[in-house]
Amino acid sequence: MPRPIRTLAAAAAALLLATACNSASTGGTSDEPGSPGGSARGVTADTIKVGGIVSMTTASGYSKKDTDLGAKARYDRANAEGGVNGRRIDYLGAEDDGQDPARNLAAARKLVQQDKVFAVSPMSSVTFAGADFLDRQKVPTVGWGTLPSFCGPKHLYGFNGCLVPTPGGTLNQTWPEGLATVLGGARGKSVALIAGDNDAGKFGIRTFTQGFKAAGFQLAYAKAAVPATSLPSDWSAYTKEILRSGPGGRAPDAVVSVMQTPYNIGLFTALKRSGYKGVISDPTDYDPGLLAKDATRQALDGVHVLLQFQPFESESPAMARFKADIKKAAGGKDVPLNMHMMTGYMSADLFLSIAAKAGKDLTVESFQQAAAGFSDTGTLVGDRAEPKGQKESFGCGALVRLKNGRYEVAVPFKCYPPIPFG
Amino acid sequence: MGDLLGFVLSGLVSGALYALLATGLVLSYSASGLFNFAHGATAYLCALAFYELHSGFGWPAVPTALLLVCVVAPGLGWGLDRLMFRKLARVGETAQIVATIGLLVALPAAGLWVVELLERAGAPVQPAENQFGLPGVGPSPAVSWQPLDGVGIDSDQLITWLATALVAAGLWVLMRHTRLGLRLRAAVDNRSLTELRGISADRLSSIAWMLSSGLAGLAGVLATPLLGLSAHDYTLFLFVSATAAVLGRFLSVPLAFAGGLGLGVLQNLVAGYASFAEDITGFRTAVPFLILFGGLVVLAQRRRAAGTAAADPPPVDYLAGKGPGRRWGAWAAAGALLATAFYTVTTPFWSGILAQGLALGLVLMSFTVVTGLGAMVSLAQATFVTGAALVAGLLMSHGWPFVAAAAVGTAAAALLGAVVALPALRLGGRSLALATLALAFLADQVLFQVGWLRNGDTGWEIPRPILGPLDLGDDRALGVALVVLSAVVVWLLTWLRGSRWGRAVLAVRSAPEAAAASGVSVVRTKLLVFTVSAGLAGFGGVLYASYNTRITATDFTAMTGLVWLAVVVAAGVRRPQFAVVAGLVFAVVPHLMATYVTESAHLPVILFGLAGLALANDPDGYCAALPSRRAARAARTTGTAGTATAPTTQVVREDAPVPVPAQGRAQAAGSEAHAPPPALALHGVRAGYGGAAVVHGVDLEVRGGEVLVLLGPNGAGKSTLCRVAAGLLRPSAGTVRVLGRDAGRDDTVRRARRGVRLAPEGRGIFAGLSIEENLALQLPASEDRDAVYARFPALAARRTVAAGSLSGGEQQLLALAPLLQRPPAVLVADEPSLGLAPRVVDEVFRLLAELRDSGTALLLVEEKAAEVLGIADTVAYLSQGGIAWSGPRSEVDRDRLAEAYLGTGVRR
Repeated sequence: MPRPIRTLAAAAAALLLATACNSASTGGTSDEPGSPGGSARGVTADTIKVGGIVSMTTASGYSKKDTDLGAKARYDRANAEGGVNGRRIDYLGAEDDGQDPARNLAAARKLVQQDKVFAVSPMSSVTFAGADFLDRQKVPTVGWGTLPSFCGPKHLYGFNGCLVPTPGGTLNQTWPEGLATVLGGARGKSVALIAGDNDAGKFGIRTFTQGFKAAGFQLAYAKAAVPATSLPSDWSAYTKEILRSGPGGRAPDAVVSVMQTPYNIGLFTALKRSGYKGVISDPTDYDPGLLAKDATRQALDGVHVLLQFQPFESESPAMARFKADIKKAAGGKDVPLNMHMMTGYMSADLFLSIAAKAGKDLTVESFQQAAAGFSDTGTLVGDRAEPKGQKESFGCGALVRLKNGRYEVAVPFKCYPPIPFG
Repeated sequence: MGDLLGFVLSGLVSGALYALLATGLVLSYSASGLFNFAHGATAYLCALAFYELHSGFGWPAVPTALLLVCVVAPGLGWGLDRLMFRKLARVGETAQIVATIGLLVALPAAGLWVVELLERAGAPVQPAENQFGLPGVGPSPAVSWQPLDGVGIDSDQLITWLATALVAAGLWVLMRHTRLGLRLRAAVDNRSLTELRGISADRLSSIAWMLSSGLAGLAGVLATPLLGLSAHDYTLFLFVSATAAVLGRFLSVPLAFAGGLGLGVLQNLVAGYASFAEDITGFRTAVPFLILFGGLVVLAQRRRAAGTAAADPPPVDYLAGKGPGRRWGAWAAAGALLATAFYTVTTPFWSGILAQGLALGLVLMSFTVVTGLGAMVSLAQATFVTGAALVAGLLMSHGWPFVAAAAVGTAAAALLGAVVALPALRLGGRSLALATLALAFLADQVLFQVGWLRNGDTGWEIPRPILGPLDLGDDRALGVALVVLSAVVVWLLTWLRGSRWGRAVLAVRSAPEAAAASGVSVVRTKLLVFTVSAGLAGFGGVLYASYNTRITATDFTAMTGLVWLAVVVAAGVRRPQFAVVAGLVFAVVPHLMATYVTESAHLPVILFGLAGLALANDPDGYCAALPSRRAARAARTTGTAGTATAPTTQVVREDAPVPVPAQGRAQAAGSEAHAPPPALALHGVRAGYGGAAVVHGVDLEVRGGEVLVLLGPNGAGKSTLCRVAAGLLRPSAGTVRVLGRDAGRDDTVRRARRGVRLAPEGRGIFAGLSIEENLALQLPASEDRDAVYARFPALAARRTVAAGSLSGGEQQLLALAPLLQRPPAVLVADEPSLGLAPRVVDEVFRLLAELRDSGTALLLVEEKAAEVLGIADTVAYLSQGGIAWSGPRSEVDRDRLAEAYLGTGVRR
């Protein structure tokens, strides 16, 4: 072995030893948050520092950037109302994670270690690599609970609950019950379920098969069959099978898609061209922005879309306030509303509500304590309760139907009792 | 039956898009020999531009589409060719692959950045995110018809078909019935011969890139209603269409086109009928990649030794002969400083980032093994990382300790590596890269969809290890541990490289047959390279995952692997320590940029992608660029250039003998000073390859209507001299004059245009073109061709036959025939009689004599001395790179002849 390498090895060994001593003496906790004495990270006498993580730029063309605007609207309003227990919210804006797990974690680290935020709200992305870090650093985090990280970890909250059912947990029945209302009862009605050909699609098929069966539907077709990464240019292979799947080789009464917008546009267009007259439903296409394009407007016409918050068409005072806040945050412009704004707005709202309950002495501990027994009713996402929301969805939703270029409420916003999932 | 017809017809829609993209791939590949990973990005860029101009600025659809497809996209192709691809064609394959991967991310980012800038400037642009159901060229929403029961088509599909059919017809006319098409095909067939015929291959390459980009642009505009504005989808679409390019063997446009159409149909049929595979999650998703992989393995030609990239010559080791202190001192100091920094200066945030960079560095070092040492491009490294981490996580969830779980994970990755290596036994270069990419996608879409392995979206927790008193839960401790680990791995890899096994790898890489002959098992060596590299990637992956404290199946995808390759090659893939630098730079720079330079998310991506541009100049990466440039400058000033080229990997050229000191220097046929200037004159010419001089100061002159025969033993430098005369090789000293004018600075094309023709060793014909086309390249006028046919009825009878299928003699006739019709000023013929039957040789020499009589100056290099002397006016003996004797034919005697061949050196 050349001498310098030996020297190098020796130096490295010495360093390692020093590290060992050092980390042993500090117990491996170099930046423990929430030191005793009441002054928490990011909380001063009159401000609370809050950050956000949102997928804004992506290679897939899918962006959640309006989440940031929604959050800002809610925090602005809170500050205008005098803040939380006298403390103003210092919202730093959202970090862009670009749908990249590494950047998601880096964003979480930056917010905590560099910006020293008290909480992260909103966090909305397709990946949440920062979840473990935020939970370990005891950073209250509120976001869109479509990822399993929002189901379980103590400091992480989904703004409308945890949306990923776990075996042994419960299943949200909004969709089957809503569609039953549309069809005038589930008895004797058949449903076709279709999803992408990957693990997530399989899981979706599994959960909704159980849900729809429990609601009394017949499952005519339930397949995770569509290539998940390359959009089919031709849907006839799927539509043909679906349209023959109902009882007696007829078309099923409802076709339910558990896929993303571009897929739904293709599938629904093909279904309609084949003359399908039944109910079509999906959970993703409630976006008034989609109405701006003739092609999407036509493809989605008549489709029943599931949403898990109050529809923008509702006339409740809370919705009026939401719209006013968004308009103000957008600089007085009438921006088209979308569900990402709602995500941001209601993530901020859940954080503010719990923080308000935590009282004047705001620390992670007092926040967690407040959350442990938190509940309220009648919000834009229905009746909220923690820690129930860390295990299951709040279970509220509505169906809207696109008709003549406008969404109209088909089944009003309501909370349904969940069923056990196994 | 209605079903089947419907599936076939609508399958032709995506098939048409595949065909367009595949055709573009083949065109650009044949123009500059590189597989353009960024082809889909070009399509995306045009889709984005179309959307913004049409929907944002309100421009009319059809003119906008035409503008983009006919002007903007070709312009982009031209620019990229001039800036990048032309230079890249001359560097190694790895750098080529990486540069286009860089573009793959940079081009979409650049497009979005422009949109961002325009928006800020107040232009009426539309947001590019969350856009679905975009209008295409036709009506939106599309009008649909149902001509047959169960078979529906819509206007977008119809437009795609029509446009594709039109392009197919247009391409066919262009390639088959225009002069430009003929030249393009000639350049594809034999680039250097094209240049020898005075046709600039660079210009043809520009045109091919413009065509290729235009086709990508067309595919982009047509696909807008289907794919929307997802750069990711366009790139995936491209990878699928690569299958069609493979079917066309990257050479045949019609085959690639047909392959694309067939692929679309096949995919649709599988979607319609593959109910057998319903239980395999991801099977339908993976169909295109299964076809890609299968196509590569089945269709791969064993043209070049599989699994190697001899086109990647090793760089000059600028530290050769320096002591280990000089070699390692700086690195050791940097490592020690970094380790100390963790406990002194860095903030918790930066400690974390540095630790992440170091963990990534470990993964990146796996590229040093497979690509740097083994010269095989693997795009599946992310698969090994995911595989190892998932296995380790699974085991740890069952209570296994970290070290044991990491060991098993590493072993699992190594096993995966061995599986991925199987195609490497058959494939090489870009085929191998594509095959590993296909396998990476297959793993993502099928293997990592297996429920018990991936554990849903939750993945597995991988807690940081606690080794005795050492708790790596602290970022600083983890950082120092990673510094130490990196040092150990760097040392191990360096040792490995110099070991017996490392030498075996180098041997297999540069000359597999020779390696096999000397008892090195090629199969075992390649398997081992992949296995070791995959194991290392897996090991690094487990540590990286433990930095994140969790692994999910989507953390490191096939696309991540692409980016990693770009990251590490940009830094330098030859030395493991460069990989560590690459990891650190990749982790740190984005944050520095965000903090100090720009808020824009797009600019760093653009800059990262443009690192490929730098590769065109420094193919060995930025880590080595500065010192090797400095070393080169130092070497130039001291005049000892080329002191150290790694001899193990140098490919020995047949005509490059061991350099010997210059001795022989003769004056050949240069006595008469009156009369017109000689047609070709070389004075004091020295030339060679790399650092090795072959020809040492040769003087030669040959006049119009004269034949100079150059004789000499193998390795005397005859072919080198021919190359100098034809402008293929620039002499390091001396002058070359053509018809009295200085031509020393010519390239091949300029030299050819001056009237110097080289009939290269072997046959100077385009084997893939027909006889008629071979003639038409040099004789554009049909009267000239008719005259040739009149003279050679054998050619006339078979004018549509591919020249490659002619006999050797007929090929030589075909090469000489156009010259007889239009005699050049100078003909340099390298072994024109090689491998020909005696009767044919007589015919060839008769033709050469005829050429002389029509005033051409001939420089003939021959082995068959006895026959050639019949037409020689002057004879020169070349020996060991110098003229040993020259004089009129009458003075040649048998002894001289024998000595010339025995190489005993007729030294005066």
